[in-house]
Order: sequence, then structure tokens, then C-alpha cells
Amino acid sequence: MNTTTPPRAVLGTPFRPYRRGVANAILGGVCGGLAIRLGVRERTVRVLFSLFALVAGLGLLLYVVLWLCLPRADESEAIAHRLLGPHRQLRRVLIGLVAIIALGWFLQALGAPSLGAFSWPIWLSLIGLIGVWRGASPDERRHLEELAKSAPIVGVPTTRTKRSFFLRVVLGAILVFAGLRILRHFGSAWGVASPALVGSLILIAGVLVGLAPWWLTTLNDLSGERRERVRVEERANVAAHLHDSVLQTLTLIERSAGDAEVVTRLARNQERELRGWLFNPGAPSDQPGTYAAQLREMEAQVENDWGVKIELVTVGDLYLDDDVAALVAAGREAAVNAAQWSGASTVSIYAEVEPATVSLFVRDQGRGFDLESVPADRRGIELSIRQRVQRHGGSVSIKSSPGAGTEVELVLPRTA
Amino acid sequence: MGQPRVFLVDDHELIRSGIRSELAGSVDIVGEADEVDAAVEMIIERTPDVVLLDVHMPAGGGVAVLAALSGRCPEVRVLALSVSDAAEDVIAVIRAGARGYVTKNISGPDLLDAIYRVAAGDAVFSPRLAGFVLDAFSAGGTTLEAADVDPDLDLLTPRERQVLRLIARGYSYRDVAKELAISPKTVESHVSSVLRKLQLSNRHQLSHWASERRLL
Repeated sequence: MNTTTPPRAVLGTPFRPYRRGVANAILGGVCGGLAIRLGVRERTVRVLFSLFALVAGLGLLLYVVLWLCLPRADESEAIAHRLLGPHRQLRRVLIGLVAIIALGWFLQALGAPSLGAFSWPIWLSLIGLIGVWRGASPDERRHLEELAKSAPIVGVPTTRTKRSFFLRVVLGAILVFAGLRILRHFGSAWGVASPALVGSLILIAGVLVGLAPWWLTTLNDLSGERRERVRVEERANVAAHLHDSVLQTLTLIERSAGDAEVVTRLARNQERELRGWLFNPGAPSDQPGTYAAQLREMEAQVENDWGVKIELVTVGDLYLDDDVAALVAAGREAAVNAAQWSGASTVSIYAEVEPATVSLFVRDQGRGFDLESVPADRRGIELSIRQRVQRHGGSVSIKSSPGAGTEVELVLPRTA
Repeated sequence: MGQPRVFLVDDHELIRSGIRSELAGSVDIVGEADEVDAAVEMIIERTPDVVLLDVHMPAGGGVAVLAALSGRCPEVRVLALSVSDAAEDVIAVIRAGARGYVTKNISGPDLLDAIYRVAAGDAVFSPRLAGFVLDAFSAGGTTLEAADVDPDLDLLTPRERQVLRLIARGYSYRDVAKELAISPKTVESHVSSVLRKLQLSNRHQLSHWASERRLL
């Protein structure tokens, strides 16, 4: 949505709102975004963040928290929002927090509240990073994967070069060596447990760095397999759907080839169903409880029952309440009325949701009528439409003249 | 101007012959193609007034044809024709340069009307396309979750909005003109200016809107 956000910082020109950068992102775009927000050079922000990170890793923690809490410039949801969205995720977060506290307590018990490089902000940051990875959007994850591939140390075999191999071996060796040194130095004296812990951690890090490419490859294979399985399942779903709906309808059409009306109706139904399935999978208006979904259902019913084509256009949507349901019901009566009396082959329905009103227009280009001399049997229908809408605080206006079609306008003010 | 010279691009022979027989006698059909490359070559060679372009074809579809034509023959106008009503497809062909969008179940006379209108340089908006545009440019229309609407999306003038709304309600251009007490030419110019905005406005927000509709 933040279309005005420039891809890079414009010096001296701050931009709102603060979003994570995309085009000028190195890691998460936090610094790039801040640079855009403040209108300063990206490098300045990065240097400041790095300096701040030296203060017991606080800068790092700040970075990760911002990463989690700010949406990317081209997205509308922050990672944290995405992670916390479903309620069941909340429990995981709580468990994570408990684990962090327990870890802190454990370290405290060892008499090492801040173990050199592994102070609490760094622990928190690492856990935050796991959250980032889990909650990242596909786009962002791709960015991170590319980053991981291009990083020399953990490069997967496909992008491995001699240089990265060399770097990895050297770094791994240094870490293993350092770990061994620390262990040997303090290992004998159990009273000094904390350096031993640091030593083992560094040792583990060294082994991890050495094994990372292999590990990543395995991971990639696994996700490839998973993707393949999803593809197969998807295909099976499509086949099942086509069989259940399209093939059945085609058979029915073949059988009733003589009856033009039945064939038209079948084809129209199938078209509507297939369209909805193809183009609106999981759209909000697919949920049964919305205005647009209700109108679509009404469209299908009236088309089926009265053999007219309904051209439905909806703009915006909202969840159904009693008032809106009454509006749809009144609109349905108007549409049936048009199908029954106007003689037109098409009825246009236009529904719009605006901040202050919900409106529904039902229009045909049929024979129309003179509002003054409406026959009694039609007046009843008109009255029932009018009463229905007025009971819910809305208004109705009907425009019609003989030969020029009819339009019924239903407007409902929004209470919420 | 005599009969407009029309070129058909569709990968389904059945559809082409259907259109051919519907239009026979009313327009001059100067050629047909059933795939992207042949279509581009022949259109450049024959410079028809109007190209009826199928949106969904192998190898890139209508958008690929429009992309290949862009800038090479500005006098050729394109009317997109499709079975699909997906917002993404509609917006994509319009943005690629089509002057209008109609669905294949359009009636013969309506299609003819659309062809003449496009040949005259006007834009053709079906009710559904008008609805999509209103939705895309709406300022706070929806109340479902993703309701943080950027005021910059709100690019349409109130008059353009009025015109689009009437088209979405099923009004023909002539009816719109009568309803608003303006001349049909003015209606045309409003619609053309909406088309221009659709083509020129920030790419990001429209594609965002289209994908949002799909993904939510």
C-alpha cells in the first residue's frame, strides 16, 4: 500500500510511515527503512546500528525487534502480526518466553549473567531471528535464502567456490581451536563453569560452520520434496473438482441437448461455479457471511429460478448483519420483480460499500412502468421492498418510465 | 470512416468462427491469428484499425501481443476479449495498452458497438471493469481486514467516479450522458481519462490491489 515510499532514502526528505526497506535492504531492511523515514544516508544508519550493537548486543536486539514489528514496504502485515495471528501461536510464544526466562535463570545460577558475547540481548535476538524466519513472507524468505546462499561461509554446494570453501575451513578451524583452547585451559577446574560453557559453545559453532553446507543441502532437498508433494495434491484436487462439476455438467448438457433453456441454465451455472473456483479462491467474499457472497448466492438463485442473466458487480465488501441481510433480501425481491415483469433478458445489479453507506442498485432495461399507475399486484411488491428497507433505517427510490426500464435504488446507512 | 478493419487473435478456432459470423458484413476482417508471434507479425504488416485480442493464449497470451506491439504501431487499437473476469487479467491487459475489455459472452450488437467505439479512439468499459476500477481506486470502501487505504489511491475525480458508478450499474454511455445531463462526448472523455489513469498510475498499487483480492 505504501506506494509513495521511495526505494532509497532521499537525503533531507523524511518519509512517513516507517516501513522496512525492500530495494535498499541488506538483511531485513530495518536500517534502509529508517534511512528513508529520516531522510539520511543508509550507511549512517547502518554504522550507528553496528556501534549500538557493540553495547552488549543491544543494537542487535533492537534490530531484530524492529524487523519483527515493522511491515515491509510492499506488505501490509508485520512478521510479528503474522506469527501471532492465529491464536494457537500464542502458546508457542509463551513457551518461548518461559524458555528464555529459564535460560536466563540458568545462566544466573552459573554466576554468569552476561557471558561475554552471549549476553541476554543476543539470546533474545537469536530467538527473534527464528521468529523472523518462521513468519517471513515468501518474498522475504526468498531474499533471505539468496542472502544465505551468497554468504561465503555457509554457501550451499551449488554456489560454492574455492574461496568460500577456504573461508569456511579457516573459520571453522579457528573456532574449533579456540573452543579447545578454552576448554583445556579451564576444563580441569569445575569451579569455573562459565568459560567451559563458552568454550563448548564456540566448539559447537565451529562444527556447525563446517557442516552448514551439507545441512542446508539436506534441508533444501526436504523442502523440494515437500513442494513436489504439494503439487501432486494440488493436481489431484483440480482433477477431482473438474470431475465433480464440469464433467457432470457436460454429461447433463449432452443428455438435454434438445432443451435450449435447460442447456443455457446448466452452462450458466457451471460457468459461475468454475469462475468462482478459478478466480476467487479463498477471497474474503467467499466466506459465506459477507455482503458480496450473499449477493452472489442471490444471483445464482434468481438466474436459476427465473431464467434471466444477472450481471452482478460489487465494489467493496463487509460482513453481514441484520440490516445488510434485509438489504439483500429486498434487492432479491427487486431482481425477481425485474425478471418477472420487465421482459428484459439481463438484470444489472450493482452493490457498493462506502464508508457511510451500503447501496444496492437493481436495474433492467425492460418495458418499465408508470409509477403513478402501478397495478395493485405490483404495488404490493414495491411496498414490501420499501418497508423492508425502511424498517432497517434505509431508503428506497424507484425510477421507471414506460419503455425505458426500471431502476431500484436501495441505500442503507452504516451504523458501525 | 468506412467499416473498421478488424484483426482476430484467438487460439480457439471455434471462437474465431463464431466472432467472424457475428461480425460478418458489419466490419472488414483483415486477418486472423491463433498464436502470439504470428499475430504480432501480421498485425504489424496489415495495421488493422482494431485488434480483437484473446487474453488467454499459450506463450504469454494477449499481454505478450500488446507488449510486442507497444510503440510499433500506435494507430492499431486493441480490444481485449476473454472468458475470464479475473481482476488481475483485466487490469493486466488494460495496463499493457488495450483500449477496452469485453467478455466473450457479449452479444453481437454490443461487440460491434464496442469495436466501433475503440476504432474511434474511445475506451470500452464493461460494468465489471468499471467495478474493478472503482474497487481499485476506492477510498476506504472495504471494511474487511485490509482496510488501511492509502489516500493516494484516490486518483479519480468525483465526476469520473460518478460516470464509472453508472456504468457499473449497467448504464450505456448514452444513458450515462442523459442521467448526468452531459453530452455523450463528455462521457467518452471521462472514460478515456480513467483509462489513462489506469495505464499510467503507479504500477505497484494496482498489482497490489489485484493480488490482494486473490490472496485474502
